[in-house]
Amino acid sequence: MTTHDDHTPAPQHTAPYLIPLNAVFDDDFLEILVPVMSNNTIAELAGAVAQHVEGVRVPARDAEKVVFFDGRLLAPDLTVAEAGITPLDHVRVDYAS
Amino acid sequence: MTMLKREDWQDLARDVEWDYSYVDDEAVFPDWQSGTGKVPREAWAKWEESYKVTYPEYVANQHGKETSAYAVKAAMQRSKAFENLDEGWKSSTKMHFGGVTLVEFMGQIGELRMARFGLNGGWRNMAVFGALDEARHTQITMFTGHEFVSRDPQYDWTQKAFQTNDWAAIALRSLFDGMIAAPNVVDLAIQLPLMFETGFTNLQFVALAADALGAGDINFANMISSIQTDEARHAQQGGPTLEILMEHDPVRAQWVVDKYFWLSARAFSALTGPGMDYYTPVGERTQSYREFMEEWIIDQFGRTLRDYGLKRPWYWDDFMAGLDVWHHSLHLGFWFWRPTVWWKPVAGVGKAERAWLQDKYPNWETIYGPKWDTIIANINSGQIEKTLPATLPWLCNTCHLPNCNPTFGRDGRWRARNWPLTHNGVTYHFCSNVCRQIWWEDRDGLNNPTVVERFLAGEIQPMDVPGILAWMGITPDVAGDDGHQYAWAAEYLPAQPAAATGA
Repeated sequence: MTTHDDHTPAPQHTAPYLIPLNAVFDDDFLEILVPVMSNNTIAELAGAVAQHVEGVRVPARDAEKVVFFDGRLLAPDLTVAEAGITPLDHVRVDYAS
Repeated sequence: MTMLKREDWQDLARDVEWDYSYVDDEAVFPDWQSGTGKVPREAWAKWEESYKVTYPEYVANQHGKETSAYAVKAAMQRSKAFENLDEGWKSSTKMHFGGVTLVEFMGQIGELRMARFGLNGGWRNMAVFGALDEARHTQITMFTGHEFVSRDPQYDWTQKAFQTNDWAAIALRSLFDGMIAAPNVVDLAIQLPLMFETGFTNLQFVALAADALGAGDINFANMISSIQTDEARHAQQGGPTLEILMEHDPVRAQWVVDKYFWLSARAFSALTGPGMDYYTPVGERTQSYREFMEEWIIDQFGRTLRDYGLKRPWYWDDFMAGLDVWHHSLHLGFWFWRPTVWWKPVAGVGKAERAWLQDKYPNWETIYGPKWDTIIANINSGQIEKTLPATLPWLCNTCHLPNCNPTFGRDGRWRARNWPLTHNGVTYHFCSNVCRQIWWEDRDGLNNPTVVERFLAGEIQPMDVPGILAWMGITPDVAGDDGHQYAWAAEYLPAQPAAATGA
């Protein structure tokens, strides 16, 4: 059994949770539903969106993918939760160049 | 006994009203049903239909129409015409049967509501004829579709579609709940007879009749032409209602017209656009969808609205831009999500078809060419699985159609744009700014959850594509597939060098 020092806040062990997103990839013609986990990285989020579109409806390109959320370009190593993305938010995945 | 001439008695009989002894007017015509609003009750006394009909005349006319329509149907039943129809055309009719048959029944409910709560005796009288019309339309459409069930189980959705959770059926139910079931009858008379029937059913019933004849489907052309003759009469309930509303509450009139012009246009871009520009064989097309909209809706119906003193809707530029995009996107969506529909979408993008599309829609290749080329490459490399869906399209909270309206932006690209709105802690996404504006105005009214919302709420189990199809009522024998078994893609294969001859 472990105890906590009264002066130390208990660690927050939030389990990863599902975040369904409204997503669009590059010049695709529509928005789609893409589920990700809160602990996925932004790079993993980009891959999750791309798998439904890249080489499926949008020609695949050998280029890095980037994620825009709320007008911001997100760093690829952030987690979805750290980026402040919440369920039902919209993200856009683009080729970087 | 000598019969009185019609003109000697009809003025007395067509708008019978009487005073109530035991209840007041508000009890008989409650505002939430009758909807007089700011219009003084007595103003409705001058409501008058422009084309009058008596019951004996109605019965004689309808009997003639029924005899003639069913005679043609009986004759065509003995022919081999059905076997010779292209699957593209057959699928246009499957969309129509599933999408329209029980909407006709819902139209009957709307007519009966006007027959009870209409604010003038003449109006109520006309609505009784309208209810009888809609009963006939439900019957003839269901009977015509039923004939083909034994040859193709997708025709069973003539009767079934509207009672399932198929996403297209939910979109239609949502539209008609708002247009017919929920509103007071003043709004209903403008939304259904005026906006939908006068304005837009021409698209489905006139354009599609011409295409049906071109495709060799005399039976279908006969059926919808017979229906259209009724629409022209009962649709006139909208005109006098709008005239009175414009006189006393023009702001309300403009809003009701603007809202249902937009929502009707969205629905018809799904129901009619793909049929006209993709499913009808290219040689049989009489007009493009855009050309038809320009002639019948923008010119003719637009003139009608101006005659009532209405302004152009606030979103006119968005609507016009949508004529080049909406139905092309919906067609691509129907094709890609084909297992979710009760017909077999043909791609309609062979080389000749693409040349026609590019001629009619100069941005078509820019927006849609690369997407279809990617799909074609997957078909021709044997990767059909990459042409099938693994997730849901996001559906608009207002029109329930996919958010698939690319627009040309300041970034110089045609892209799907996001139109979100957060209300009471929930984020909604819309296909367009206009659908978002309509939802905001109507947010306290009828708002059906979309399929995506139902999916995320856990209503659909298991949460995968087979689970979604089962929830929609789609069984393997009716799930849509490419209408031409992908044969059309072969013309894009690289030319093979001629085989060497001789030893």
